[in-house]
Amino acid sequence: MPSSTSSFDFVRPIPEQSWRGILLTVVLVTAVAAVGWEIRARALGYAPTLNDTTDLWAQRREAVRPDSLVIVGDSRPHFDLDLDVLEQGLGRRPIQLARDGSCAYPVLADLANDESFHGTIICSLVPGMMIAPGGPLMANSEEILKRYHHWTLAQRSGHELGMLLEERIAFLKEGELDLDGLLAKIPLPPRAGTGHPPSPPYFGSLDRERRERMIDQCAQPGWLQDRIKHGWPALMTPPPAPSYVPKDVFLANMGKAVEQRFHDIAAAVAKLRARGGKLVFVRFPMGGDLKKLEDLGTPRAGIWTRILKDSGAPGIYFEDYPELSSFTPPEWSHLSAPDSVVFTQRLVPHLKQALAK
Amino acid sequence: MLFNSLTFVVFFVVVVSAYWALRSWPARKNLLLVASYIFYGAWNPPFALLLFATTALDFFLGAQIASASEPRARRAWMVASVTSNLSMLGFFKYGNFLLENTQWLLARCGIAYAPPHLDVFLPIGISFYTFHSLSYTLDVYRGVCQPTKSLRDFVLAVSFFPQLVAGPIVRAADFLPQLVSAPALKRGQFHWGLLLMTLGMFEKIVLADTMLSGAADAVFGYGGPLPALDAWAGVLAFSGQIFFDFAGYSTCAIGAALCLGFHLKDNFRFPYAAIGFSDFWRRWHISLSTFLRDFLYIPLGGNRSGPARAAINLMIVMFIGGLWHGAAWTFVVWGLIHGVLLVIERLARAIGGDAAWTETLPVQLLLGLATYAGVCLTWVFFRATDFATASRLVHAMVGLLPHGDPLLTTRALVKVGGVSAGLLLAHWSLRDTSVEAVVARMPRGLVTSLWALMLGAIILTQGNGNAFIYFQF
Repeated sequence: MPSSTSSFDFVRPIPEQSWRGILLTVVLVTAVAAVGWEIRARALGYAPTLNDTTDLWAQRREAVRPDSLVIVGDSRPHFDLDLDVLEQGLGRRPIQLARDGSCAYPVLADLANDESFHGTIICSLVPGMMIAPGGPLMANSEEILKRYHHWTLAQRSGHELGMLLEERIAFLKEGELDLDGLLAKIPLPPRAGTGHPPSPPYFGSLDRERRERMIDQCAQPGWLQDRIKHGWPALMTPPPAPSYVPKDVFLANMGKAVEQRFHDIAAAVAKLRARGGKLVFVRFPMGGDLKKLEDLGTPRAGIWTRILKDSGAPGIYFEDYPELSSFTPPEWSHLSAPDSVVFTQRLVPHLKQALAK
Repeated sequence: MLFNSLTFVVFFVVVVSAYWALRSWPARKNLLLVASYIFYGAWNPPFALLLFATTALDFFLGAQIASASEPRARRAWMVASVTSNLSMLGFFKYGNFLLENTQWLLARCGIAYAPPHLDVFLPIGISFYTFHSLSYTLDVYRGVCQPTKSLRDFVLAVSFFPQLVAGPIVRAADFLPQLVSAPALKRGQFHWGLLLMTLGMFEKIVLADTMLSGAADAVFGYGGPLPALDAWAGVLAFSGQIFFDFAGYSTCAIGAALCLGFHLKDNFRFPYAAIGFSDFWRRWHISLSTFLRDFLYIPLGGNRSGPARAAINLMIVMFIGGLWHGAAWTFVVWGLIHGVLLVIERLARAIGGDAAWTETLPVQLLLGLATYAGVCLTWVFFRATDFATASRLVHAMVGLLPHGDPLLTTRALVKVGGVSAGLLLAHWSLRDTSVEAVVARMPRGLVTSLWALMLGAIILTQGNGNAFIYFQF
């Protein structure tokens, strides 16, 4: 009878091999391959930079204090706002919570529901993204909020260790140089009716405060800039209605969802203001065919005007001010790193004025 | 803490280094105990207290069972242990499920009842550590193992970090004897442990998460009709994903334990090469199926009271087995379908016997493929969040939908097809052997190349890791 005081008779077999030599060779081969891949990554134009992970976002969200100045929204405030300039101009160091390819509403609602928060929010308003009822834009926002609300000690320490590596190794670029990204580069015949428009390739570097700066290769004319430019129309076009829902039903549901979103945004702003918090909506510069597409699909008189009217919040539309509309986003959607500093300097007086109301 | 995280890499290096640097065996056990609680507490520190409370209670109850002279008293202490363990599991895991179903049942009787929603956070790995702990009192009651006098040893046996949160379900009777004296590392044991950890992480990070999870998530998350190709691809993707995810965790656990000098039994034995469903359950999650066999099926009477009673016992076991995986009727249906298939298989064997023609290779291959297809079909109920999704997918798989929307890209189909074919090929070529036997026969250069390739792919895949599917159970 086996017992806790008897010996255990099960022993796993260990294959006979010269293990020490094998392990040494594996370590050497892997190290050499990693160094080679790092050299190749740098030759391709990649530099060490942080990945914009859910952990990094959660870390910045944790830094929010009751009276913080917070930036919320999509990739435009992420690239276009300079934190140092905002701090100099507004007297408080802002916390960057904008996230590429996301809908601003869930984060805005989360801050509005945070009873301790009575600070100031600069919220980017890209109309088509702000009213997205679901899909990847909402999923991107919900994913970061979920991480923040359930962030474990193990995830925090993993994030700290990950940053140490990402700041030093160029090939640690998620979605680009990872296995999935590399497999995605293998050309295969498309299958009709499937697939999503590809995300733009690497064109921004990120620091620990999540300040994103456009890399020079994208700011200059060339293949990278062209590739990003021509990717926007597909990315900014709403997906077609699903085949299994009748079109009229789908449109009716969408209409209801959009109305509900207008209501929810106004409610979130009211809740924030009731605690003494402030919010300003900002429409950031865009250009080229992308501007034509957005102006056509979501004209200013529609969603922008409605949200400002319902919420009563102030708004800054870049086209209203010559000093803000004189910028040319190199890839139509975001400003270059030097332009983002100048743009922020010019935006500060408008922010002060709007927030003083 | 996840195996596939940088935190674990650092944690493991520190723990293993300190463990082998210590000379005293009690000091090493103390270190492992503290490390195991840090490993668990890194998710949610208060739940470490719950883990300790469960374990301490079973330690006490085990001693009471052993010291009781009257059979009735022994039984009463055993029932107390079963009740306390299952109550805790029931509260955390099944509380809301029970309330919702009570509400539904009362509504059918015309009684309006609105139960409060319990805002309960499920302690990670609760189903596993409850069974680790429960196995001790049940084995003491059965006389299979003697109670340990050391609370520290028992707490370590339950909380030993490699197997704590996602198995294998290591019985105290198998682990406690290994704590009696300091283990000695056999030649190559540490290196083999590291290779198994690499293999496990490769299965999880590269095969489950990178190659398969996207297609599975897309298909199971789609709200409309799908063509048979997409439905099958999504289900095959999930079949592979859940195997690589869970077997990967078990392989990591076995490897990590080996590096520390402990020996854990296999939890998987190439299950997709199973011929028949009873063979499948001898190869899939072996620690759970043997647990249910020893502590439920046999006490219910097993095969001893005739085929009808055996069939009922089997259905009860599979019902419980399904429910163990999650608080949803889809899991129950998954378990019951397996139960029905097992009963049918037994009937077929009883009627047809083991005819010689069934032993020929083509027939064995056909039966194996039919088993695989059947297992894949049942995974639909396991993975689907509701019966509408499951029904839509099954209809699509058997070609009953007039049309469907193509969903998966060529790349996704190639990934799923390639990995699934490789998985089946590997399971069939290894079904009657073991990884150890195969590696022992391999040329050194091939072992080195495969190890380096797996390690390289893991580094290339990067990321801070997705949780293992079985954590939620």
